[in-house]
Amino acid sequence: MQIETAILVGFLFGVSIYLVLMKSFVRILFGFVLLSNAANLFLLSMSGDPSGKNAPIIREGGLPVDPLPQALILTAIVISFGVTAYLVVLLYRLFLDQKTTSAAELFREETESENGGKR
Amino acid sequence: MNLPILFVVLPMASAILLLLWRKPSKSRRILGMVVTGFLTLAAVFTAIDLAANATRLVLNLGAWSAPLGIVLVIDPLAAIMLSLSGFTALTCLIYAVFEGTPKAEHPLRIPLLFFLLTGINLSFITGDLFNLFVAFEIMLISSYSLLTLEADDRNVKHAFPYLAINLVGSTLFLIACGIAYSVFGSLNFAHMASQSSQVLENPLLPALAGLLMLVFCVKAGLFPLYFWLPNSYPILATPLGAFYAGMLTKVGVYVLLRLLTTVMPHELNYLHQLLAWMGGATMIFGVIGAVSRHYVRGILSFHILSQIGYMALAIGLFTPLALTACVLYIIHHIIVKASLFLVGGTITCLNGTDDLNRTGGLWKATPVLGICFLLQALSLAGIPPLSGFWGKFLIFSEGLAAGEYVLVAAALIAGILTLYSMLKIWLGAFWAPAPESGVRLDDPRWKPLTALISSMALVSLAIGLGVEWVFRIANTAALMAMDQAGYTRAVFEVLGKGGL
Repeated sequence: MQIETAILVGFLFGVSIYLVLMKSFVRILFGFVLLSNAANLFLLSMSGDPSGKNAPIIREGGLPVDPLPQALILTAIVISFGVTAYLVVLLYRLFLDQKTTSAAELFREETESENGGKR
Repeated sequence: MNLPILFVVLPMASAILLLLWRKPSKSRRILGMVVTGFLTLAAVFTAIDLAANATRLVLNLGAWSAPLGIVLVIDPLAAIMLSLSGFTALTCLIYAVFEGTPKAEHPLRIPLLFFLLTGINLSFITGDLFNLFVAFEIMLISSYSLLTLEADDRNVKHAFPYLAINLVGSTLFLIACGIAYSVFGSLNFAHMASQSSQVLENPLLPALAGLLMLVFCVKAGLFPLYFWLPNSYPILATPLGAFYAGMLTKVGVYVLLRLLTTVMPHELNYLHQLLAWMGGATMIFGVIGAVSRHYVRGILSFHILSQIGYMALAIGLFTPLALTACVLYIIHHIIVKASLFLVGGTITCLNGTDDLNRTGGLWKATPVLGICFLLQALSLAGIPPLSGFWGKFLIFSEGLAAGEYVLVAAALIAGILTLYSMLKIWLGAFWAPAPESGVRLDDPRWKPLTALISSMALVSLAIGLGVEWVFRIANTAALMAMDQAGYTRAVFEVLGKGGL
């Protein structure tokens, strides 16, 4: 189990980092969604090898799985859900204003006038 | 002792209250000022009291004692940070009152500021790594919303890089929490600290320490991870910009300080060395960036970075005196930086712009503002006897004692370039002849704004002149933060249900 999880986490990290480094903001968003899932899976694997262990709510027979990482993941999922929702709305606003979500186009005028960020 | 929860619950309750009370009005602002003023006073008295008795305040939430429950711990260092966050929030609220009518600001601004304050305060006093993550998320999501709340269409895109890097940072923090759990078997600071000598051989420890440092270097804006900061901060309205500039990156510095001194083993020399060199690089690159800008807020935003470099260098040297210097420097920096941002806002108010090519004539128009600016700018550059000098002096002497001549030289060069870029603002805004549009002295806002800024300048001057007293508190704070055994004892002594 542990090896497969490790390979899956590594694969998810690879894909999400590739996406986060792209120019389109929408792909960065998808990259972030994958990245948070990869992180959650990583946290889950920190409770150790689950084979032969019970779910923490079952009392009889055998050791329970360490429930703490699962509790942490629940919190993390809620947080990343909220942040993702915010990010989607921000992207929508950017798209409405600028008619594009590509970083290269958004920041092009910037490099020409070099007056960035001034109000 | 239930006092620690006050610093989280009070801002949160007022945020919710203000959220329900949507209509902008004067009394809404008064409520905000009363709450932040009260928090500041409470934190200052707590800091003085804790430092005088060298004790810590510990609260077991829900009476579950450590390491099973979440604990809140206020030691002198946390209390100092709490007073600074309250003070900065208070001055920013007052500035907003003088800057515009209640209707001019977005109705969500004050509630979000309070949520931000909740997150910041919780990350100062929490005694649990995962709780720290939650506190950071509260702080970050409020900061994203505040950043984009009042930004216009042209500027809102600058918020995206800020978001993107902080999201990746938060995810890495989550991973670090997972690794910490597997290394220490606990996420409680005291429990982790009590095992710090046993985990030294663990091969995961360098990975954990490196990952935590990476995360908080992103949050603090250390080289080479600072590119998100200088473009995103200038899009904020002046009072919010001052609050961000003063507090947000310093939360990252505080957590670095807390984790490296209180939680992690002290033997991680390679990491301290790396941090010191990153600090040195940040100083130089930050100040060079500042020299390249020609509008006030841009220059000041880059200066935040360069000053963060000094703090990182101080943490990297990792002697008791260097850590004292770091605390001293944080105290000095937050007040000076926030007030310089407010000076920038007043320049914009008087000249209609903060582009240094189109400002001028302010020295003749309002010498008081000029004197305040000079005091704060020279303090930032580290001219004695102003507040910035003492922190720098201690960092230099500790750096020389540790034989880090290159880093001390870099710090000196950064100091000179700081002076140069401050001179740029001085020449452009104060000494240059007034622009054709003239100085808008008929604008009624500038007088109370200048009065507020001069009161901040007085506070910072008082810190510089009364440094012996401040030094004593900072020294106690640094020593107590380093005292892992004392921290552990204080946390485990408080009884509740559970416990091991």
